[in-house]
Amino acid sequence: MSKRERLEIIKDILIIIQNNKNSIRITPLIRKSNLSSSRFKQYFNELLEKRFIKIIRNSKKEKIISLTDKGSNFLNKYKTIVNFIEEFEL
Amino acid sequence: MHPGFNKIIMQQAISTEIIYSFIIIICSLMIYFGTKELYELSSYKGIKYFRQAFLFFAIAFFFRSFIKYLLVYFNVNAILEISPKTFNLLFSQTTLLIFMYFSFIAVFYLLYSVMWKKWNHSNKIYLFHFLTLAIAVIITISRNPLIYLGLNILLIIFILFVFLFASKNKKHKKNNLYIIYILLFIFWILNIIDILVPTIFIQFRILIYLISLGIFLTILYKVLKKVGN
Repeated sequence: MSKRERLEIIKDILIIIQNNKNSIRITPLIRKSNLSSSRFKQYFNELLEKRFIKIIRNSKKEKIISLTDKGSNFLNKYKTIVNFIEEFEL
Repeated sequence: MHPGFNKIIMQQAISTEIIYSFIIIICSLMIYFGTKELYELSSYKGIKYFRQAFLFFAIAFFFRSFIKYLLVYFNVNAILEISPKTFNLLFSQTTLLIFMYFSFIAVFYLLYSVMWKKWNHSNKIYLFHFLTLAIAVIITISRNPLIYLGLNILLIIFILFVFLFASKNKKHKKNNLYIIYILLFIFWILNIIDILVPTIFIQFRILIYLISLGIFLTILYKVLKKVGN
């Protein structure tokens, strides 16, 4: 797999959550994100800090990762951000 | 020539400069605030430097002429009980220094927004701040047009060289933003020359303003179109 850019990795993690009906446990998320555990932890903490994702508990008291409105907004604006960066060669 | 005629010409020149500065400030702030959401969502450094460059342009133009109008309008020297001569000297030197600093740092930030990935391992932004401050101080203290022109020529050669080098190594060559950037730098230099040596460009002043506004409005249009506003 080619080296992914930071924004692309964030988008991929958020899409995995979105495609799992906006609720996924941490282990399958790590597996599906195709990142090493240390890199995943780094991105996961960033997403939590930026409030793109939140941790909730389901009826079985399991920890579930879910997208916030800000996370959904990032996905909506992702193409705009990438186009902007490409257009201005930033 | 009748003294009254000169006064009218001067008033028209000041009014034109204030309107010009005002439009540039508005355009720059629209770019800065228009890209706020993109930066807040992405935390992307290139977007950060790009929008900060336009914030610095706005500050530079505010100190170029707009603040002069405000302080003269509110008769600040009388309020502070300073003689008009001392006030003008202090005021023109201070605003010139601030204008020079922010105008040069804006250009460097625009450059850095394109080059930050290549220069990632060495944080050159502090070097640019130091260099800019040194240039602004030298220009303000010397008030020598030759030193001033020399520094500007060196700056524009440096920036053109970096931009051309960067565009040579880019994979995507479909956009024409580099041409706009280069034009912006050229007209930026013309505008600065216009401030220190007004007699050279007095007849072309409005033309310079119109072309500079055209460039700024083009960038504003491109930015807002891409942002989706």
